[in-house]
Amino acid sequence: MDKDTDTPYGMPEPSTVTWREGVDRSTAVVVMAFVASSVAWLLVGSGFALVASIKLHTPGFLGDWAWLTFGRIRPAHLNTVIYGWGSMAGIGVLLWLTARLCRVTLPFRLPLLVACVLWNVAVAGGTWSILAGHGTSVEWLEFPYHWSFVFAGLFAILMFSALTMFTRRRVSHIYVSQWYLLGSVLWFPFLYAQGNALIHGNLATGVVQASANWWFAHNVLGLWFTPIGLAAVYYLLPKILGRPIHSYYLSILGFWTLALFYNWAGTHHLIGGPIPAWLVTVGTVGSVMMFIPVTTVAINHHMTTKGHFDKLRISPTLRFIVFGAMSYTVVSFQGSLQALRTVNEVSHFTHYTVAHAHLGVYSFFSMVMFGSIYYIGPRLTGREWPSAALIKGHFWLTAVGMAMYWVGLTWGGWFQGLAMNNPDIPFMDTVLMMIPYLWSRTLAGVLMTIGHVVFAVSLWRIFWLRASDVKGPTLFDPSAAVTGGEG
Amino acid sequence: MALIYIFIFGSVVVFGLTAVAGLVWAVRTGQLRDFSAGATSIFDDDEPVGVMTDAFPAVDEAAAPTPPEEGPDSG
Amino acid sequence: MNRVTLLYVGILFTVVLSFAGLTIVPQQQLGSLEPIVNDDGTEYPIEPTGLVAHGRTVYISLGCMYCHSQQVRPPGFGADIERGWGNRRTVARDHIYDRPPLLGTMRTGPDLANIGLRQPSSDWHLLHLYNPEITSPGSIMPPFSFLFDELTLEIERPYDALSFPPEWDPGEDVIIVPTFDARALVAYLKSLNASHTVPEVPQ
Repeated sequence: MDKDTDTPYGMPEPSTVTWREGVDRSTAVVVMAFVASSVAWLLVGSGFALVASIKLHTPGFLGDWAWLTFGRIRPAHLNTVIYGWGSMAGIGVLLWLTARLCRVTLPFRLPLLVACVLWNVAVAGGTWSILAGHGTSVEWLEFPYHWSFVFAGLFAILMFSALTMFTRRRVSHIYVSQWYLLGSVLWFPFLYAQGNALIHGNLATGVVQASANWWFAHNVLGLWFTPIGLAAVYYLLPKILGRPIHSYYLSILGFWTLALFYNWAGTHHLIGGPIPAWLVTVGTVGSVMMFIPVTTVAINHHMTTKGHFDKLRISPTLRFIVFGAMSYTVVSFQGSLQALRTVNEVSHFTHYTVAHAHLGVYSFFSMVMFGSIYYIGPRLTGREWPSAALIKGHFWLTAVGMAMYWVGLTWGGWFQGLAMNNPDIPFMDTVLMMIPYLWSRTLAGVLMTIGHVVFAVSLWRIFWLRASDVKGPTLFDPSAAVTGGEG
Repeated sequence: MALIYIFIFGSVVVFGLTAVAGLVWAVRTGQLRDFSAGATSIFDDDEPVGVMTDAFPAVDEAAAPTPPEEGPDSG
Repeated sequence: MNRVTLLYVGILFTVVLSFAGLTIVPQQQLGSLEPIVNDDGTEYPIEPTGLVAHGRTVYISLGCMYCHSQQVRPPGFGADIERGWGNRRTVARDHIYDRPPLLGTMRTGPDLANIGLRQPSSDWHLLHLYNPEITSPGSIMPPFSFLFDELTLEIERPYDALSFPPEWDPGEDVIIVPTFDARALVAYLKSLNASHTVPEVPQ
């Protein structure tokens, strides 16, 4: 039986719309809720980021208020962009993509909408707590303990929904993106529960809490954000170009090697620290082994796109996705190198690491999310994005901003590390030498934030105002231009 | 105390061997064959191989739309 | 077992494996570490109590960890010991009472693992917290003036009023006194001392 031509689960048979339209529309309200929320948090998180960045070179800036002190604004920034922007955008993309790949209409829409509202409440409440001084100083787990129970419940709803769609699937083949998404939706709740129990629940003691902390935090990148980002690239790259993935076998190899190696890398955050040598070595080995999945992904993506890079001018999603996918390769190779002792001796504790972190979460994951949202938006609403100029503005502001961010802090941070390892250089000199680079980072952040505002304006217009001034070729059907356009 | 180490390492070894056995079984029974079918599973008659599915919206003014450079081809 | 079950098993297996390796096994190895008992019956390390314990919560609440590390790397790896940040590397035993450990990942400011040894002056710490520029020109550490109260002179200067260097003196009529949180934080900072001999680092 060829299951793939069946009507999707949950759609009436026969239907007046294509199966894709039916599935996409079923996800519309929930995905729009998550995406809109995520972009709101992106703006909030960007605001916190700018304040934090300015405070580092101008420490008196807004310096009179405890709730804005750097030590609170910085974790407020991290948590709003990780649990607000990144996770909610990721969930929106995950739900839409799973529905498409399984050919199932979205189940449990009301519980998912409630989950979206409660997720917003939890992020807001947790962030408020941090600013009020109740942050835990456990990196990536700064929200006070009680919020983690709320998140645990919301993850359960998400997991249940994704697994239900997977169980009801009407396809005979499980596409590679689906493997990644299934992984993320099973891995992250486990991570989150264990991380909280071990650290906030004090089931681990002393430095084992540090090891558990970085097992958790690094796996938020490796087993939550990376799989969602790669799932999006593996689906959207071929769909946009109309070209199948170059080597499907490589993509499966890449998935399993990622699953096997990525989650051992966490202790590379503690090289030189007060933990057993074997624990550090394990982290370094896991980090270096990541060359395998990252290379397979890079080859696959490159060979799929090769010869068609001119399409970057035509497709808004493609330029964000390609920027993101290339960043994934760079940040992963850089990360593998940073786990080596000789490199780590210089880069640890410096702004070099900050640049690396943003290359991953922003240049890879966030840019892929931007591209995914540009693809998904019209398919949820049935309307075009209102303005190509806004999309291009968003791209260039964020791309140039990110490049400036990374170059400045990587260059400066490396020299900061070298200076710090020279005991003849006073510590204050390592601080003063970074000031120009911290200013360049603020400037980069301003560009990126303006880009986010531009993005939010586009989103506002297509989701809320239902605007579409477009009269020519559509995102859906470029060939419509050939026939004269249908508006 | 030693019992705990045996339990932890033992269960890890058991898990590991199970997964390896499962992988060997999957390969033997042909679960991982036919990769080209997998790669093209996301295309169909509505959105076939060789056709782009994304483009910038046209400009707001009623200018003549520029057709994309890629028409349907064999991908 | 079909392909899907293999997928589930594989996914869960890979994460459980790393969970066991990076948390359970180290906990077994390090969970039973005990403090060292000195000849006079005192122990190292000791669990913080009173003002020091409260100071630790202030440190956490203000997020000091995001700029300051508390770990001394081994000799030959970086220049931590040569910089005077400690006489030995820090080890797991130093942190057995830390909930959570505040190892830190940034050195925007210097490492604080032995700051109690390196800077034992309460007056220095209070001035530095009030306005880091006073003690450390060029510093980008933010001012924590909100940890202090500003009073007007009534009868006589309180004993704990800050004494400023001449160029920073706000004048006779302005009295700056530390709040309870400021004094607790300073007590905590002065308690940070990881120089005690430990068996893991033979002298």
